[in-house]
Amino acid sequence: MSAIWLAAAFALLPPLVVAIVAAGRAREAQRLIAVQAASSLGLMLLVAFTFAFDQPAAIDLALAFALLTLPATLLFALFEERWL
Amino acid sequence: MTVAVGLLLGAGVLAAWLGTAALVRLGTPFERLHVVTFLNLAAGLPIAIAAVLTGGASAGSIKVVLIFLSTALTGALLGHATARALHLREGERR
Repeated sequence: MSAIWLAAAFALLPPLVVAIVAAGRAREAQRLIAVQAASSLGLMLLVAFTFAFDQPAAIDLALAFALLTLPATLLFALFEERWL
Repeated sequence: MTVAVGLLLGAGVLAAWLGTAALVRLGTPFERLHVVTFLNLAAGLPIAIAAVLTGGASAGSIKVVLIFLSTALTGALLGHATARALHLREGERR
């Protein structure tokens, strides 16, 4: 079962890389959207690696990341609205 | 069970690839904003169900469900905040 999760985790890496590159190279207005997409993909990657390496404690990292994404992205949106 | 988990993970990975392709190909930022919601729901839900099937009735499965619910619920809020920021940004440039 963990082999399936490992395969899924490696299959999720290219989309994450594309989203990260888009976050660095796109225009200012589109970088925040790419960051949000990268956050979602990174979250799925963390969940997949949790089951791939059979480390139940790692799911806490994914949960913390999911909860911290909200204030972080709101802060980025505020900066983009007012100062960037 | 393994087949079901494999199919669900395949669907989630396929949705992730489709969403990323849309992120690259779509034109305006407002169109690209829909990609994030698509990723959260279309890719996140199959992966969450696969995690619950793999983990069974455990604390890890509950946490995965919480992760999916938080991303699904906050995704709408973040999309609105981002769209508002982009809209105000475009208004100033005019």
